[in-house]
Amino acid sequence: MEENKKMCMALFSGSIDKLTGAGVVLSGAAADDMDIEVYVLLMGARAFIKGNENKMDGLSEYPELIDEFQASLKRLNVSTWVEFFTMAKELTNVKIKICGLAGKMWGGEKLEDFIGLADDIVGIGEYITAAQEADVHLFI
Amino acid sequence: MTTEELQALTVNKSVDARGTACPGPLLAAKKAIGEINSGDIMEILSADEGTKRDIPKWCQKKKHEFLGILEEDSYTKLYLKKG
Repeated sequence: MEENKKMCMALFSGSIDKLTGAGVVLSGAAADDMDIEVYVLLMGARAFIKGNENKMDGLSEYPELIDEFQASLKRLNVSTWVEFFTMAKELTNVKIKICGLAGKMWGGEKLEDFIGLADDIVGIGEYITAAQEADVHLFI
Repeated sequence: MTTEELQALTVNKSVDARGTACPGPLLAAKKAIGEINSGDIMEILSADEGTKRDIPKWCQKKKHEFLGILEEDSYTKLYLKKG
């Protein structure tokens, strides 16, 4: 059996546009059966705090277009970022790891402070190792 | 395969992903492929332009045989045989 390709994603951003984009990319990688590790860094960790996952409160780019962005997602029946991440986990081996510092910045000290998608709280060294070993490395 | 051959195929599973944009059809195909046996024929209905390129590439990578495309008025039917 051929070994699955590995993807390492650094999810630095926590705004809804970047989270949605990350979800689309994860879906494509999941369809290819890639082994995926997502390292949730500074701003990304805010979205993974329990109660924050459905906030649609910010765009990294063109923030004034938030209404148009949301309307387009609805019109095109695009899944939410949480749905994309959940589907990816159902389809392939996806581990979501929260940077310890990033979690603390938003009040997340323990794994139970984060939504169920989160698998672990880790240090930056683990991310660097994963990035070195991955076939595909993305920073979003 | 020719249009006539594609039209004559006996489909084991049909996946209607016309209500979703990319990556919906690809995800729908990925989910459904697990529900059929090797050698079975699957049909994917998609109204997303990118699917016409994604599914053949995906078949190539996952060792399924891509059989072809039938164009309808506002959507596409794609056919594959599970490897």
